[in-house]
Amino acid sequence: MGATRFFDRINSVIQERMRKRDNFSWLFLFPIVSVLLGVLASGLMILLLHMNPISVFWDTLKYTFGDYYSIAEIFVKATPLILSGLAFAFAFRGGLFNIGAQGQFYIGVVLAVTVSLKVTHLPGAIVMLIAMLVSSVFGGLWGAFAGYAKAKFNSNEFLITMMSTYVATNVLNYFLNGPLQETAKFYPRTDSIPTSTNLPILIPNTRLHYGFILALLIALLSYFILWRTTIGYKIRTVGLNKNASQYAGMNIGMVYVITMFIAGAFAGLAGFTEVNGVQHMAMQGFYSSVGSDGIAVALLGSANPIGVVLSAVLVGFLQVAGTIMLQTSRVPSSIINVTEGFVIMFVIISFFVQDRISATSRKREVLAKRKSEGQEAS
Amino acid sequence: MININVLNSFLNISMKMATPLLLGGLGEIIVERAGVMNMAIEGIFLVGAWGGFVGAYVSHSLLIGLLVAIAASVLIGLVYGFLTITLKLNQIIAGSGLNILNLGLTIFMYRVQFGIPTTPLKVQIFPDLSIPFISNIPLLSQLLSNQNIFTYLAILCVPIAHIFLFHTRFGLNLRSVGENPEAADSAGINVARMRFFAVLIASILSGIAGAFYSIGYLGIFTDDMIAGRGWIAFAVAFFSNWAPISALWGSLMFGVVSSLSIVFLTTGIKAVPNELVLALPYIVTIVATMTRKSLRAPKALGEPFRKEE
Repeated sequence: MGATRFFDRINSVIQERMRKRDNFSWLFLFPIVSVLLGVLASGLMILLLHMNPISVFWDTLKYTFGDYYSIAEIFVKATPLILSGLAFAFAFRGGLFNIGAQGQFYIGVVLAVTVSLKVTHLPGAIVMLIAMLVSSVFGGLWGAFAGYAKAKFNSNEFLITMMSTYVATNVLNYFLNGPLQETAKFYPRTDSIPTSTNLPILIPNTRLHYGFILALLIALLSYFILWRTTIGYKIRTVGLNKNASQYAGMNIGMVYVITMFIAGAFAGLAGFTEVNGVQHMAMQGFYSSVGSDGIAVALLGSANPIGVVLSAVLVGFLQVAGTIMLQTSRVPSSIINVTEGFVIMFVIISFFVQDRISATSRKREVLAKRKSEGQEAS
Repeated sequence: MININVLNSFLNISMKMATPLLLGGLGEIIVERAGVMNMAIEGIFLVGAWGGFVGAYVSHSLLIGLLVAIAASVLIGLVYGFLTITLKLNQIIAGSGLNILNLGLTIFMYRVQFGIPTTPLKVQIFPDLSIPFISNIPLLSQLLSNQNIFTYLAILCVPIAHIFLFHTRFGLNLRSVGENPEAADSAGINVARMRFFAVLIASILSGIAGAFYSIGYLGIFTDDMIAGRGWIAFAVAFFSNWAPISALWGSLMFGVVSSLSIVFLTTGIKAVPNELVLALPYIVTIVATMTRKSLRAPKALGEPFRKEE
């Protein structure tokens, strides 16, 4: 597939920037320009509502940063996005397309809520620890299946992760309408989990919980795995050049399974932080855009763990701002999806621009070299 | 328990549910035969549904609705073609981006135009037509008659797509672009133009498929009303091994399963959990991609073509 080739080009651009320390700002320049263009485009959309986008944006900013609760809310929203963004980015580094973070998330949700509701004889902290482990392991296994199918049957991991998301949605719905349905048996949702299993709050009088710290640690962990361990080296090598790694005697199938397990575990963990940290229950249609938002976050962050954290905070801000915009200016909150969509389109186009720039600079270097060699000869 | 009426409506709904999947699936087969995966298919379905509804609601004409749906989906197809063929960007990434954008745009534009109506706005849907002779045959009449124009169009497209792909010079060229673009290029075929053409055909068919949901079946437009059905059409292309005639059976299989869950819901039969029935098409697709040994994708599928290399 074109995936590895494309990834190869992107990565070479990033590595080139990394080598030239003075050019490191390029890595940030393109996402920032893309975001500004995206905001500009959605500002034009607001004009369609016969409103002044500048005053709408100004009001929104004023209220978003007006109190601690709203500021903290940005990080509440960023938490699952960091994890689902990493779920895409990690697999992407291994040359795989994990489009199924949504499904892995739902499996995490089912497991987190089951453990929190059913394990009642243990202290809350222990229950949370079990919920955390179990949701990430099962999210990981759900993801690993796609890696296994690719390794064993050369299946398209893209299609499998996509299709298994709809299976996972039905798994969640089955539990919500059956074994885990609330005692009142009215809505497709669970009872609230015991307060002892709620993740503690980080800043009083806000909803910001320790899951955010967990997400940051996971971002560090994924950086560590990819760039400081042998398996991470293998994952990146397979991502860069599958055939060369096979030639070097690597067990590519195993690398696929491990890559997808880790990616799925990240998404499963997001299920845990959302259930135990924010909603304290599970319901039908639970955060149905966490997967696609994660793809947006990963692309905006150049599939780099640090970039993922930064862009997750940005998308978190957009989500909070969208809700506030609805309240203050009555702009439909779907404007966030529009902004997000435009930003991603500009990010994608910036890949092309970056590619071009690095190609011409390489050409110029070669020409300069040839010229100086020519002068020496004469 | 199961009487003839239930069976009749079961067959009728199966074919209805299969219709958009067949249209979208045929489009996907054609575009993938040219070496491009139309990863924007979900978003194009959605834009088709939105365009169909808005066009029909504003003009009070279903035909204009259909034309708006086609125009909107061609526009998205052009953007997708520009990104993936002209700029040679990765198809999965370009498609994912466009799908997010289309989801936002359709919801936003609907709000801009109609606000938040207290009751969902409705349009009249395309009427069912009965076909002489067939309408007298029991059971088959439910499958092939008493359907609306979308279904007849979809069925008609099957032999057309088959003949086009396998029995015309143009179709041969299109397939060669998907199998070996380098060879096609040196044989004087314009690879980029051919792929653009295929993307537009797929977009038109997917747009019509999307419009089926709004103006051929439900008569309303709701947020994210496609809900992954574009991806099932995408799976139909895989499932049918990129052959239009198999796409008929593939989409019908998905249609039968969807209609099974509707029948289960309305009749209250609880043989198996409804969620399992709903998950079945996806499970079948996963199993199919794993077990169908004969599955053979076009060789250059997903690869951008770089002439200078």
